[in-house]
This record gives sequence, C-alpha cells and structure tokens, in this order.
Amino acid sequence: MLQDFLSTHKSAFKDHTELRAQVNTTKTVTLLAGNMVNNVQSATGGVSARVYRGGTFGFASGAEYSPDSVKSILTAATENAQFMDSQIKKGLPPLPPLQGQAKVELSTPIFEDVSQNMLIDFAKGLDDFIVKKYKNLSSRTVIANCLDIEKLLIVSDGTDTHFFQPRSQVYVFMTAETADGIPVELTEPFCIRGRFDEFFTDPRRMEEKLDLLYTRLMDKRDGVYANAGLKKCILHPNLAGILAHEAVGHTVESDLVLAGSVAAHNLNKQVASELITMIDFAHTYDGKPAPLPVYVDDEGTLAEDALLIENGILKGYMHNRESARHFDVKPQGNARAFAFNDEPLVRMRNTAILPGKDKLEDLIASVDDGYFLVKSGNGQADSTGEFMFSVDLGYEIKDGKIGKAIRETTISGVAFDMLKTVDMISDDMVWEISGFCGKKQIMTTAMGGPALRCDMNIGGK
Amino acid sequence: MNDIANYALEALKKAGADKAAVCANKDRKDEFNVQENKFTLLRTQFNDQLTLKALVGGRKGVTVINKHDKTSVDEAVADCIALAKLGMTDEAEDIAPMEHNQKFDQTIGGYDMDGLFNRTKEYVEQVNNEFPKIMLESVTSEFTTEKWQYVNSNGAAFSNEEEYYSFSNMFMGKDGEKTTSFNHYGGPLADLKTAFMDFGLQRQLLAESVKSLDTRTIEGKFVGKIIVAPTCEDMIWHTLLHYFLGEQVLIEGTSRWKDALETLVANPMLTMRSIPLNPAIIAGERITEDGFLSRDNDFIKDGILKSFALGLYGANKTGKPRAANTAHYNLEVAGGDTSFEAMIKSVDRGILINRFSGAEPGTSGDVSGIAKNSFLIENGKITDALQETMISFNITDVIKNISGISQERICDGQSILPWCCFDGVTVSGK
Repeated sequence: MLQDFLSTHKSAFKDHTELRAQVNTTKTVTLLAGNMVNNVQSATGGVSARVYRGGTFGFASGAEYSPDSVKSILTAATENAQFMDSQIKKGLPPLPPLQGQAKVELSTPIFEDVSQNMLIDFAKGLDDFIVKKYKNLSSRTVIANCLDIEKLLIVSDGTDTHFFQPRSQVYVFMTAETADGIPVELTEPFCIRGRFDEFFTDPRRMEEKLDLLYTRLMDKRDGVYANAGLKKCILHPNLAGILAHEAVGHTVESDLVLAGSVAAHNLNKQVASELITMIDFAHTYDGKPAPLPVYVDDEGTLAEDALLIENGILKGYMHNRESARHFDVKPQGNARAFAFNDEPLVRMRNTAILPGKDKLEDLIASVDDGYFLVKSGNGQADSTGEFMFSVDLGYEIKDGKIGKAIRETTISGVAFDMLKTVDMISDDMVWEISGFCGKKQIMTTAMGGPALRCDMNIGGK
Repeated sequence: MNDIANYALEALKKAGADKAAVCANKDRKDEFNVQENKFTLLRTQFNDQLTLKALVGGRKGVTVINKHDKTSVDEAVADCIALAKLGMTDEAEDIAPMEHNQKFDQTIGGYDMDGLFNRTKEYVEQVNNEFPKIMLESVTSEFTTEKWQYVNSNGAAFSNEEEYYSFSNMFMGKDGEKTTSFNHYGGPLADLKTAFMDFGLQRQLLAESVKSLDTRTIEGKFVGKIIVAPTCEDMIWHTLLHYFLGEQVLIEGTSRWKDALETLVANPMLTMRSIPLNPAIIAGERITEDGFLSRDNDFIKDGILKSFALGLYGANKTGKPRAANTAHYNLEVAGGDTSFEAMIKSVDRGILINRFSGAEPGTSGDVSGIAKNSFLIENGKITDALQETMISFNITDVIKNISGISQERICDGQSILPWCCFDGVTVSGK
C-alpha cells in the first residue's frame, strides 16, 4: 500500500495544486495456440504534481516516490507553471473552490497480490478446455490479465482520496477456416472489477458464452458479404455501449466541445429520438456499484452522474474544473488520469444508453430486410459526430427472421442523425468494461446499453 | 545505467537464469500542450525503466519496473526468476548471440527550450493568420532525451543515447456551426530549423480541412479506384505487416501468406521495406527488441515476398527467417514512375483518401471503413470533399491491383511513403 508522503505538503500549496502518488500493476499470460508467448509482470509508479497559475498548468512527474522526490517534483511543476504564466499571460483567476472538502478513503479494500501462478493455471486450463471441446478451430488464443491501480491524491481544495481499483479479464480468440481456406475469427472478452479469482476459478463458468462464441464462429465460416448501403439494423446490446461511447460520448467531452465538436451548437436541442436517454454514471447504477466506479476524480472533484441526453434532448457535457468554469456549471468528476505521469483529461466513466420497454425478439421480428449486428471490435468517433465501428459478427434479417451470418464489416453514421432513427429499444442492458479508451492516454471506461432498432450505413459489397 | 544493467544481469544469473537479458532506460521528456489554439500545459516527465528477461530450463519470465534502486532491482530479479520457473518449456525461446557490441550516439546537441516554445507559438500564430477557419484541437511539442543499456548473458552489450524533438497536432475546419472531421499530423524532428507549418504535408492538410467545410455525399455505390495518401499508412501497409507477415498469425498458421515467401504477392511495381538506419529516420532503432543489431529489411521487392516480420522467437517457432529489424513502423515504399498529378488524371471516378477510419481487418484481409478527409475524383480532377463515404476491399486483391505509385514521396521522420492508386474498391455513400 502507498505510504503517504504527500499530505505534509498541503499546507504549503500556494496555487491550485494536485499531488498524486500512484502505482499501476499488471500481470499478463498469453497462450497463443498453446504456446506461452507472454508471461509478464509490470509495476509502474511514481509521483506527479500539477500546478495552476493564471490560466495554464505546470506538470512534473518522477518514478521515485520518497519524501525528497515529492518535494523536487512539486518544485519542478511549480517552475513549469511559472514559466507558462510568464510567457502566456492569460491572467485568469484561480479555479473556483470546490464545496464539501473531505477525504474519501479506499472504495475497494486493497487485497493480497494475485499470484502469476493463478493466471497461468487458469489460462492453461481454459486452453485445454477449448482444445478438447471445440474441434473445428484452426487456432485459439487465451489472454489472462490483471490491472490494479492504486492512487493517493492530495489537492489544494477539493477532496483528497485514496483509491484502489482492480480489474481482471480473460480474452478468448477463436479462429476457423472457411471451405476455401480463408481464416475467420471471433473474440469474447470476460472482464470483472475485482480480484482475478473472484470469477476466474473454473473454465466451465465460461462454458455457456464459449459455446455461443463457437457456434457463431461456425456460422461466420459460411458468412456472406453484407450488401453495402443504408440499412435497417438491430444493434445488439453489445454494440449499444460502444455507440454511446464512441458516437456520442466523445463529442460531448467538454474539450472537444470547446474545439468545435458537433455538440457545441446543440445544447438543449433534439439530437436523438425521444426514446433515448444517456448518462455518464459516476459510481452507482440501478442502486448498485457501476462497473468501474469513480468516487473522486483526479482534480479532487466528488463524482456525480452527468446527464448527457434526456428523452432525446442534449442536456449537458462532461467537464474538468476549468471547462466547468467556462460553461458556468458544476464539475461532476470527469477529469481522469491513467498513469502516475499522466495529467487529468476529460474522460468518460460508465457511459450508457438507458433501456427501453421492447423485447429484443420483437425488434428482430419487426425487420423485413436488414441486419442484426451482434459483436463489435474497434470503434472511432469524429468531431462531426460521424462514427465508425467494426462489426465482427452479424446476421442478415429476412422477413423478421435471423438469416445467414455476415463477414467482418463496418457500420457508420452521424450520431445525431442516426439516433433520431431509433424507434425501438429493448428492455435489457449489457455493460462492457474490457479494453481501453484512447485519447492521448489510455483509460479504463465502462459502456453499456440495450438493443436498438435504427438505420445505419453498412460496408460490404 | 551500465552499473544497473550489469548488476541486474549478474543477479539473474546467480538466481538461476540459464540465459538472461536486461535493458535499463532513463529518459526525460519536456512537452508543451496547446488546446483550442491556446497554450494550456508544460509537462516534464522523468522516467526510468528496467526490463528483465530470464530463461530457466527453456521457460521464460519477463518483469518490467520503473525503478533503478537496488532494493527494487533485487525484488524484480526474484520475481523474474519466479515467473520463469512457473512458465512453460519452449525450445523456441532464446536470446540474441553476441555480435559486434556498440555504443550508439544519436544526440543532437541538447534541449533548446526557448526554441521549442517559440516554434510552437509560431505555429499557432501561423494557423490563426493563414487558416482562420482551422481549430487546433490539440498541439503537442516535445523534446525527449533517452539513454539505454542492453546486456545479455551471451555477452551482447549495446548502449544508446538519443535526443529528438517531436511535434503532433489534431485539427479541424470550423466555420460558425459547420465543423469538419478532425485530422492529425506530426512526427519526430532532428532540429528546430524548419517551422512546424512547413513540416511534410502539414500546410496542405490544413488547407484541405478548410476545403472540407463543404462536403458532398456519394449517392449509391460504385467500384473504382482509390488513391491512398502517405498519411494513411495504417490502412494498407500496417495491415499487411500485422495480419499477413506478423508473428502471431504465422505462429498460429492463420496468415494467408504463410507459404508465400519468394512468390509474387503484389503488383511488381510494389517494393516495401523497413529502414531504421536510413538517415531520414529520426532516432531509428539500433537493436531489435530481442537484442540483434538492426539492419534495413525488405518485405516485398518488385511484388515478391522477401521477408516476414518475425522476431527471434517467431523465427525459431515457425522455422522461417527472422526479419532484420523490429522497427516495422519505419516503412519505406519505393516511388513509382507516375507523378501525383498524372495519377489523379488517370482516374475517371474514384476518391483521394487522406485518413482512414476502419475496422481491424483480421486475417481474411477484408478491409472496410470510412474515407475521412477525402475527396471525390471525377474525370481526372479532384472535385468535392466527401462525407459519409465507406470503402471496402480485400487487401490481397487490391495490392495486386495497384495501378500507380507516385514519384513524389513524403518523409515524416518515421517513414517515407508515396501516394498509391488501387483499383477494384467498393465505394458506397447513402
């Protein structure tokens, strides 16, 4: 556990200052076609300081964490802030103070380190299970990974915190070949917030999803190319989360809004169907801890939910303290840094479209000629609201029934146009917490949503 | 640095490593940040890293820490040996042999902080003056100084000291409520002699973003030619390197080119290499990730597959030859015999693609995505900027269907690439 070498400096802060000690610990085991190509541990930690003066920040970080190093990093950050203030001369006042100063202690108790042996044994067991059960694979990869983040944050005003968040995940990649020898792949991430052995104890706990993955891969072997163009699509809940994150979430991050994203001129306007409500949850969803809860952000702001779209109306953006002042709103805790040497940026937390009242079966049955899009890979957003994400698995829908699987393709649209076409929303909800969001730094985020019926551009032939 | 690396190596051997390799790094990075055309941050990072690899009975362990003190190094050594003992025996695991030990010097005379600040400020002012309809979503300018020492138990010992500037920016056209797609550009620099505005394609890309404030949507779809700009290197070249030539797909046996060495895989006008030793490449790789001296490497020459992108482990595992470097991002594609202007004139209906936002294609080679910051070509002329335009193709087909490679090439300090024209691509709009 991190020792507190920070608090003693608080009384000496002259400008707005954030002082953060942090360590990120990862363990990874990769079995590629049965070969252990990765057996790695890493621990990256240190201390950073950020100082605000006159409208610009100075930041410094170092790997050494000791009483002396904290002092020298604080001095370096202050000197950087002084240099910027002397050169840029924005002349802005200090950031408005935050109300409710307090200290928030660990939201998750620190647990004993998970052993690498646990990951190795599980990965081997899972690989054996896959080889024995799924006979028509040409290859498979199993990745077992843990990421634990511990932070100690002291701020000149706001909420000090000691934070610990563990994330454990297993990825399964399956590959098969089509009749003419073309490889096709599918991936299933299994991810939890918590210690590795809270879930990953026996591969049979994953059997149902692995069976489905294999069945769908066999479907995909016989897949056809999608017919390119604007189509009626049912997005499985797996895709609604990435839609919330990529298509809308990034455009309503305040730094992108200030740069001129499409959301800049749409506040309090209809940007989606009245069925759509979208929230960036801070730490609680439906009365339970959100998938990746954030209680205090890296600027010392107590985190609250950020309402983004309500009944189709764009209601707000996500902020850091500086942008909240610009827009004259209350910051809600979206300033987040991934590593000890990263500065906080405006980031999403648990971003979701809320469920509706329809049944997924009814959504599918309502489509005469379209696509049921089930699994996505990567996705990207744009300042215009134009988004793209890959579709690794989808099916044709003909006369309300699921038809042939389709080969990998891409779907795209303009978020605020496409969301207006949503006319049915399912009553279920799927959260996804694997992987990372990229924006100068990587970041752990959660995204969720129900199934949607909408119009989408689909790539193909 | 030498002391830390050698100390860790000896400790690994004493702790039971049959073979071991150590790399110790120390760097400092100073970085100016601009957002929305205004300076926001000066950041200084002091970073250390120590990477340990041990083989015990053919089993591998790797530990990475960012501390250099003796206590932390001792703990990391113990962890690394413990990891190796837990691993699986694999005869393909090895370390590089001793070659010609060397010290590399890629320094450029130290940090000119005022110079970097002034170049950054000048760039923002030039954008404001020359391109008032451009919004700089972010600009980052950096100076990095790094030292590393690599040693292994076969006697290999290399050290490097390097310094470089770098510049990157993300920008978009903005006029009232009209906004374009963002675009980005940048790269490493050996000095500050050139204004950032004059770096590679920077000015041209800014001008094209302004032109993209008014866009057009293609109705329906057609099969035609696309001209891919040097800024789109991920779309074709990195896809080939990862999904056809890379270690993972060759070990799995899923690469469609696994048996294609020395055969014709592309149009004979295509030659593609990785060139970390080329003087135009800034702070290029000097040793590979597994400890060999880096050399330039041909992947495809005159359309014939000459090499995979395999490291030592992948080469041992597959029985195929190891590539001469691991700097696959330092790419060079040979120029062709067509001028860019003539290439445009050769296209009756197609698009010029400056940025591609697409899916990870996978080993099938099917690629689809959105043509960003792109323009319609009609009757041999660049006409309108496009929006909501998707393209799809199979990469193994289109690299056989290259219809032209430009004489002009762009060097951004990391790669040297021309414009390439590919035929047989499905282009679809609304």
